[in-house]
Amino acid sequence: MPSLFVIQGRDQGTRFQLDGATITLGRGTTNAVQLHDTEVSREHAEFRRRGDVFVIRDLNSSNGTFVNGRSINEQELASGDQVQLGRTLLLFTGVTEGRAEDLADKINIVGRPEEGDASRIVHAMHQSEGSEILSLPDSESSSPWLARARSNLQIMYRTALAVSHTLDIDQLITRIMEMIFEWVDADRGCIMLKDLESGQLVPKVRRHRNELQAEERITISQTILDYVVDRNEGVLTSNARDDDRWDAAKSILKLGVREAICVPMQGRYDVVGVIYIDTFLTPQRMLQQGASNKFNQEHLKLMIAIAHQAALAIEDTNYYKQMVQAERLAAVGQTIASLSHHIKNILQGVRGGSYLIELGLKDHAKALSAGQIDVESAKKAITHMRKGWGIVEKNQERISALVMDMLTFSKEREPVPEPADLNDLVGDVVELVKTRANDEGVELTWLPAPTMPTLMFDPEAMHRAVLNIVTNAIDACHDQCDGRVEVTTQYSQAEQMARVAVVDNGSGIDPDDLEKIFAVFVSRKGGRGTGLGLPVSQKILEEHGGRIRVESKLGEGSRFTLEFPATLPQPGTSTTDHSLLDHAANEPATADSSHG
Amino acid sequence: MKSSPSVLIVDPSSESREVLRVLLERRGATTLEAARPEEAIRLVRKCRPDVIVYDAESDQSPNGQPTNDLRQIAAGSDTPIVILGKIGPAQGIFSKSQVVAKPYHYGPLIRKINGLLPAA
Repeated sequence: MPSLFVIQGRDQGTRFQLDGATITLGRGTTNAVQLHDTEVSREHAEFRRRGDVFVIRDLNSSNGTFVNGRSINEQELASGDQVQLGRTLLLFTGVTEGRAEDLADKINIVGRPEEGDASRIVHAMHQSEGSEILSLPDSESSSPWLARARSNLQIMYRTALAVSHTLDIDQLITRIMEMIFEWVDADRGCIMLKDLESGQLVPKVRRHRNELQAEERITISQTILDYVVDRNEGVLTSNARDDDRWDAAKSILKLGVREAICVPMQGRYDVVGVIYIDTFLTPQRMLQQGASNKFNQEHLKLMIAIAHQAALAIEDTNYYKQMVQAERLAAVGQTIASLSHHIKNILQGVRGGSYLIELGLKDHAKALSAGQIDVESAKKAITHMRKGWGIVEKNQERISALVMDMLTFSKEREPVPEPADLNDLVGDVVELVKTRANDEGVELTWLPAPTMPTLMFDPEAMHRAVLNIVTNAIDACHDQCDGRVEVTTQYSQAEQMARVAVVDNGSGIDPDDLEKIFAVFVSRKGGRGTGLGLPVSQKILEEHGGRIRVESKLGEGSRFTLEFPATLPQPGTSTTDHSLLDHAANEPATADSSHG
Repeated sequence: MKSSPSVLIVDPSSESREVLRVLLERRGATTLEAARPEEAIRLVRKCRPDVIVYDAESDQSPNGQPTNDLRQIAAGSDTPIVILGKIGPAQGIFSKSQVVAKPYHYGPLIRKINGLLPAA
């Protein structure tokens, strides 16, 4: 489906699918593509699909519609075109379906010669040697034209290679300047790029021949620069005083430049900058070489071609950076929206619980107000307060779990392995979730492995990973009348693996959803889930060199197996007494404390 | 003797339902509870509540059809609905006065529900 992706403006990061024959773009709420940009008209432009052709038409907007920087009334769009409405810049992507043919049946990749292709390698050449094909053979040294043509081709080949190997613009233009100096006998040179905000040319790279004074300033005529950028033409000034185009400004006269080449860096959409080189020819040098010029039209053509290649690469890099930035902003926006939603739900729970406590306190005060205790009213008040407190506590646990998951997910961390007992750890998790299981009417069974040696792993992280999976299993039984969750551990000496299996008879997972369950902020629990639990558990297991295996049948239940390599402590490794039960006892939101 | 007014609470969170139930019963209303709109539709047909309090997150369907169905059934029997949270356009058109944004305060919510209930 064709789409418009906002790469600049307030809606940056939004992708609009252009589904329909006619779609309007504008600031008004009735537009399918609504842009939050005050410089966009209420009904600004219209997008029409005519078969495979896509046309954008301006609807007499105040500030106009631009395609690739040019004002349009109506324009056919091609994939990659940039559409500007007000301050919003959108990238158009056309349809791709139908064009991509499935060629799997038409191209065979065979493993053995007898299966149809008995070819053998006759000659091999490294990719870096590619440009050698353009180098001049000794036998053809007598043809200067051919030699020059080959040389130019080689230069273009190397330029194309140079610009395709980096996404760093400063590095790219430095390399371009170095190559120009290898090929052209210039004394000084610089590259100026257009500032994306102001549109002004800003010098970015400067170079001079080694024998020249590095601190000497390069002075460039504004007249030349304007001419090059405005007309999009490269210029060669071999003797500025003979060129009447500059007479009006007389700027060249003042500079005394004998020869200069200044070319626009014309990309796909716009001029992104200029490349300038110059040279001084002293009378002595002119006498020595028998000519009054060093640069000619061949140099100019070559410089224009190099500048075009460089400009395309710069545009691609800028575009890539904008895309990355837009995607990043979109991801941040989604993260904030998702987290706000969960926090809002938790806050709602806290408000509910607090309100019940407040009512209970009021009722209790009323029961005591007459100087005598109304026992029934006091009991009722306490019941309300207990209910309210239970709800507040539950939500306190939820926010605590959310914060811990966020921290675990956001940090690039190495696990801190220490000798620990997996049975103790899982037993502690089971203890923690007992209350939750009881509340949900779920039967929780814990079957520790009869043999479980002390292993090296990060107990705090692993505790979080197992807790998330067991909690999910209980939640999956939410709608079951006979919900059951079984937690087991296993140690395989032969495989050197430790496993924790969590099996439930809950709702199960649709096979189509299985691939998505580890995606961040994708929750199948509605308002109760944060969409962080499974990705966090997966991250922890992967940090331990392990994984989570999932088997599930819709309507029958699921089995989650957490497995990781079982590493035994080296002899002499001290076993720290990190009783997780002790750790849990210090936490206010544990099963112990909630049992009162 | 006129029976007490009834409120159907539709909310996927059992604790939210419990809070509303306690608060409404203190004011003399009887309550019915449902976690999903499908169940709510059944209860509306069977018990004809005076007011429906509907949490927008109750609808887990991809197209919002169950909410739309409930809205139409409620409209057919003139039963007012109070929507808690943001409702999607696919779930039907509700007037602004029907929607209470989350996180809401219980005091004003209960007053709003009371205002819709017939005098006992």
